[in-house]
Amino acid sequence: MNVKKLDRAALDSWVDSLIARQKVYGVQARGERFAFAPLARAEDLRLDYDVTILPPKKYFLPQTEDLVTFKRSGEYDSVLDDEPFVLLGVHPYDMVAVNQMDAIFSSDNYDVHYMTRRKNAAIVVCDVQNASPNVFAGCMGTATVKDGFDVLLTRIGDAWLVDARTEKGAGLLEGVSAPDAGEADLAAREKVWAENVEKLQRHKLNCAPSDIPDLLEKSYGHPVWEERAALCFSCGTCTNVCPTCYCFDVQDDVNWDVETGKRSRTWDSCQLKDFAIVAGDHNFRPNAADRFRHRYYRKGKYVADKIGQIACVGCGRCVTGCVAKIANPVEIYNRLMEDK
Amino acid sequence: MSKPRVAIFDFACCEGCQLQIVNLEEELLDLISLVQPVAWREAMSESSDEYDIAIVEGSITRPEDEERVKEIRDRAGILIALGACATIGGINKLKNNFDLDEVKRYVYGKDAEMPHLNTAMTKAVDEVVKVDYKVHGCPINRSEFTYIVRCIALGKEPVIPNYPVCVECKKRENVCRFEYGEICLGPITRAGCNAPCPSAGFWCYGCRGCVDDPNVNAAKDIMEKYGKTVEDLMQKMALFGSGQKTEARE
Repeated sequence: MNVKKLDRAALDSWVDSLIARQKVYGVQARGERFAFAPLARAEDLRLDYDVTILPPKKYFLPQTEDLVTFKRSGEYDSVLDDEPFVLLGVHPYDMVAVNQMDAIFSSDNYDVHYMTRRKNAAIVVCDVQNASPNVFAGCMGTATVKDGFDVLLTRIGDAWLVDARTEKGAGLLEGVSAPDAGEADLAAREKVWAENVEKLQRHKLNCAPSDIPDLLEKSYGHPVWEERAALCFSCGTCTNVCPTCYCFDVQDDVNWDVETGKRSRTWDSCQLKDFAIVAGDHNFRPNAADRFRHRYYRKGKYVADKIGQIACVGCGRCVTGCVAKIANPVEIYNRLMEDK
Repeated sequence: MSKPRVAIFDFACCEGCQLQIVNLEEELLDLISLVQPVAWREAMSESSDEYDIAIVEGSITRPEDEERVKEIRDRAGILIALGACATIGGINKLKNNFDLDEVKRYVYGKDAEMPHLNTAMTKAVDEVVKVDYKVHGCPINRSEFTYIVRCIALGKEPVIPNYPVCVECKKRENVCRFEYGEICLGPITRAGCNAPCPSAGFWCYGCRGCVDDPNVNAAKDIMEKYGKTVEDLMQKMALFGSGQKTEARE
């Protein structure tokens, strides 16, 4: 399918037609910030947003979700959410993160809860118009994205290029009549992509992302972990706002009959003091510095060893969210580079 | 299985946490399908001294109250502290920042010396007797209370968060109060409330008490980053944090 060129009115009527057909989540204002939320009408959609408070992972791995209902006698049923939906306005760095999560949740123990939601989702990516204060996606190779999504939107002046990349994406655009984008439009889009690489570098990483695993290999005993963690509240914000963090805790609760109940999972964080408590009340990461360091190794080495990509997409949410202002990965990696 | 007999007692408090139990409304019937209330001044006329579980609301502020709560402890198999006054001393501990005679004169004026107005330093319930379970908050979170009751009925240890309110606040996708230039006690306060205050546009008042191991040493440096002082922070903490002990576990 060719790339279409829509003006704002045509884009809005396309979005309203999607809303009429199915559940749509889109980026909207939340105070002075932005968030993905159920979209009621096209005019609420804010494709000019810089970054959302939480990444779109909440639609695939919700903050809390029921996994199973059970009876104490041992019978149980899986709880699956299979309502189709459209996720509208995902930035490229967040799309890269969703692709990473897909790789994680579809391998080893295939996660049927995550994957059911993922398969029922259509994702519309939107190239970034405004850089957030702490974004560094340009350094991480995630200012643009090539795959995983269904439709790509790019703003070119007052017009929008709408590019269906999958059959599902073409389905979303069914009934949209608009001219094809011309050579000049496509060249302008290339220019947006090139400019975004430069624009999304509010922090500059002094090495290639692919250098990070080796850098960490040599830095386990570096003083920066203790120094920074001295200010850490162990509040878990850096991981909760992270588009690539996916750890969860599983708990059971029973109904008032004390016979039936449900098992649910909720976001957990390696930064929380009790995260690593195991049988016998042993805690293998009892100190904030252990946990602080673990996050960087998780992002820069452990997951990278597993899926071949650094599990940091440069969205900068942890930099903004950290009350103590110690969570900037670029500062840490640059410091390790200096002392190498 | 016979239902455990439950008695609810109040000490120095506003009785608002008991009221949260009354406010369970239709769920009250579920509650009494699991337990048998035998003493509950706020909600029933009858009273019995024979009970398995004692729920104690309020803080301990007079010598005679210490004796009373010790008697309750002796009679009960399980003792639950209900609400911030009981779990951490609550707002009543503000008193501990001042001279007791001065406090009495300020509150009672010329009656200050009357014997029934005698007062002592405020204590949380666990500063006087052993407490088995704590239902935190001012007021308590009703769903946490009912969860704890069901766990006790099952003989299962309830899982009470030992992480900061920030966790629940972030899950609700609130803009951080620090971004508005406010001091919020969320980063050191025990979660479990689901962050209602920041979600309604207020900073966290710290009513659930501190997590077991709050990073108090970081306060000065972090306040400086926001152009605030430790005194600003202490002022915010006075309401629920006066004389609060933390239970670091290493």
